[in-house]
Amino acid sequence: MASKLYTDDVSLVVVLLDVNPFFWGGALKKTTTTTNSPSVLSFSNFLNHVLPFLNSILLLNQLNQVVVIACGANTCGYIYDSSETKTSEAGVGGSGRMPDLCERVLGSLEEFVVNDQRTGWGADPTAANAASGMLSGSLSLALCYIQRVLRGGLLHPQPRILCVQGSPDGPEQYVAVMNSIFSAQRSMVPIDSCVIGVQHSAFLQQASYITGGVYLKPQQLDGLFQYLSMVFATDLHSRNFIQLPKPVGVDFRASCFCHKKTIDMGYVCSVCLSIFCKQHKKCSTCGSEFNQPHLVPISTSEQK
Amino acid sequence: MPQVRILAKNFMDMVAALPATKLDKLYENPFICEAVLRSLPPLAKKYALQLLFIDSPISAKTMEGWVLADGISKHRVAIDRLLQLRVFLEEIDRKKESTYKLNPKFQGNIQKYLVYGGSLPRQPMPSNVTVRLPTLEDLETYVLEQWEVATAAINQGFLLQLISSSQVEKLTSFSASMMKFFQRGLLSARENEAPKLTENGFQFLLMDTNAQLWYIIREYISTAEDRGVEQMDLISFLLELSFHTTGEAYNLNTLTDIQRSVIKDLANLGLVKLQQGRKESWFIPTKLATNLSVSLSDSSARKQGFVVVETNFRMYSYSTSKLHCEILRLFSRIEYQLPNLIVGAITKESLYSAFENGINSDQIISFLQENAHPRVAERIPAVPENVTDQIRLWENDRNRVEMTLAHVYEDFPSKEVFEATCDFARDMGGLLWEDTDKKRLVVRGEYHQDMKDFLRRQK
Repeated sequence: MASKLYTDDVSLVVVLLDVNPFFWGGALKKTTTTTNSPSVLSFSNFLNHVLPFLNSILLLNQLNQVVVIACGANTCGYIYDSSETKTSEAGVGGSGRMPDLCERVLGSLEEFVVNDQRTGWGADPTAANAASGMLSGSLSLALCYIQRVLRGGLLHPQPRILCVQGSPDGPEQYVAVMNSIFSAQRSMVPIDSCVIGVQHSAFLQQASYITGGVYLKPQQLDGLFQYLSMVFATDLHSRNFIQLPKPVGVDFRASCFCHKKTIDMGYVCSVCLSIFCKQHKKCSTCGSEFNQPHLVPISTSEQK
Repeated sequence: MPQVRILAKNFMDMVAALPATKLDKLYENPFICEAVLRSLPPLAKKYALQLLFIDSPISAKTMEGWVLADGISKHRVAIDRLLQLRVFLEEIDRKKESTYKLNPKFQGNIQKYLVYGGSLPRQPMPSNVTVRLPTLEDLETYVLEQWEVATAAINQGFLLQLISSSQVEKLTSFSASMMKFFQRGLLSARENEAPKLTENGFQFLLMDTNAQLWYIIREYISTAEDRGVEQMDLISFLLELSFHTTGEAYNLNTLTDIQRSVIKDLANLGLVKLQQGRKESWFIPTKLATNLSVSLSDSSARKQGFVVVETNFRMYSYSTSKLHCEILRLFSRIEYQLPNLIVGAITKESLYSAFENGINSDQIISFLQENAHPRVAERIPAVPENVTDQIRLWENDRNRVEMTLAHVYEDFPSKEVFEATCDFARDMGGLLWEDTDKKRLVVRGEYHQDMKDFLRRQK
């Protein structure tokens, strides 16, 4: 079939970029101390890898769509949408169908960072949650966007989410992140994760594992583009035929609901499956009362 | 989409068939690189992307390691295509292993694309110069109109008398020589005989617009040299055109002389619309042009349907177009015609005449499905199943008897010889029929020599 139309490789990619200043600030410190280390990347270098990657996705198929969501310390927001530019900017005598992607991304990124900082003014900048970034929020934004596209049009782009994250996991976001992961699983949206931080991310390991995406922690960050184009540019259709990195191990540890600590072992509410690190009288989520262990001594006293 | 013989090639096959030097020259144009990359199978696209920033050749064995076991056939297809289009260049290294490398020109252009982003072939004109740009809907109707005239014109000999006078006037704007090229293959014009639609011609009428367009463009390109236009210039211009924005105006002055002469023909086909301002003139690409290199026939090119088929084989077509009426007449009996409605019936006789003309049932069914009226189009199936089944059955009726050249062998001396012969024929796959009692068998004609040799050995 020579006239076979290769339309099954259309993809809608929502890219979650980590722009958390705490993470990038830390990375910068490391680059100045250990010069030219391949495992640390400055933010501008990072963008040098990511922007061509976005271009390459748009290049692969004219129906491909890219949405970029920035995920900052306090807020997250849409940075770039390739479908929007086609309609709104086409008439403004400017660059038309594909404007300078870099310029637009950088422009709105700057705006975003300023806003992000302003929102954070009220809060204590040294608070622990700031270091972890808004993964849960950006995941929800991505899923909302995908839902809108799926419901809105006759077109059925094959959506997927790519998280490019460096910030450490915030255990306090555990419930929100897990909920996003499950709703992604329900709507069959794979979450790919590319971890550029120092540590593995348990959240993203679980996200990719549950939704059938790819989890990868590149060894050599100065070749980030090659990783991105080899692994994460693969459309969902081709994934059936291509060797992709297999998950080595998934950190399934959960965070407790009471103190947001990551725990190996804990107490689970038998009604709603909430997780606690300590024993409680009553489940804080569903309100069911637990049998207390001190009932045991009472029963023994009755036997007397 | 009906798969017919004349459709077997698409734009990129044509590009792939170009000689290597021409192809390398084509890749100097970044738009062609982009269009070629997009036309590749998904795996091939990925390979091209992966090798983009790798300068040393990659061995074929390494690449095979990238795919899973089930993907190996797709991998081969992808590699073949890449080599065919000279995106990959094959080299044999010292260890006699084949290695692949990206075509340097192609590589350079795509690298530039990734770093600087896509640009447009030319800037659209500012809106204060182009006073009254047609809206997208206007453009759409323009395309349909123009296309219908063009299609009808191509089948001139057959349909001309049916086209209203206003359309005939438009026809004259089409250069006669071009028309002849297009009609080649679709019409059989024997001496002293009214031109008659050929099998291809009938199939052409039932194809969707994109397939029709491609057929015509192909003819247009292949005859380009007769008109003094370099084939390559034409191909690169057409590909470039597909990167323009639909509905934007572009100045004609930005084109070369050759392109300007081509664009008039394209306007006749409805690929672009030409407009004249006070000082300058410009062209507006339509959807047909921008879909050209893509040759997509999915929803993006979907037009409003008009046919309702009922389970009782009656067909109501809400159309005022004479062309539609004639197309329907190809395979149905038109019963009556109202100003905006054509009522017909799909009958055995009407279908038989269609089959005789070389149209097959799949083409008819897909035509009915693609042109289903919006009311029924959302139903699944859009055409009642009993109708589609019956159309297929009637086609099968015609194919009840299949002729095969064969030989009969009889008078075998013994049962053993007979059975050995039967086994031999069966092993070759040529045994058609056997009768053990009377010791007779029938074998396909092409195995006669083998059979003779075998029987001689038996003696």
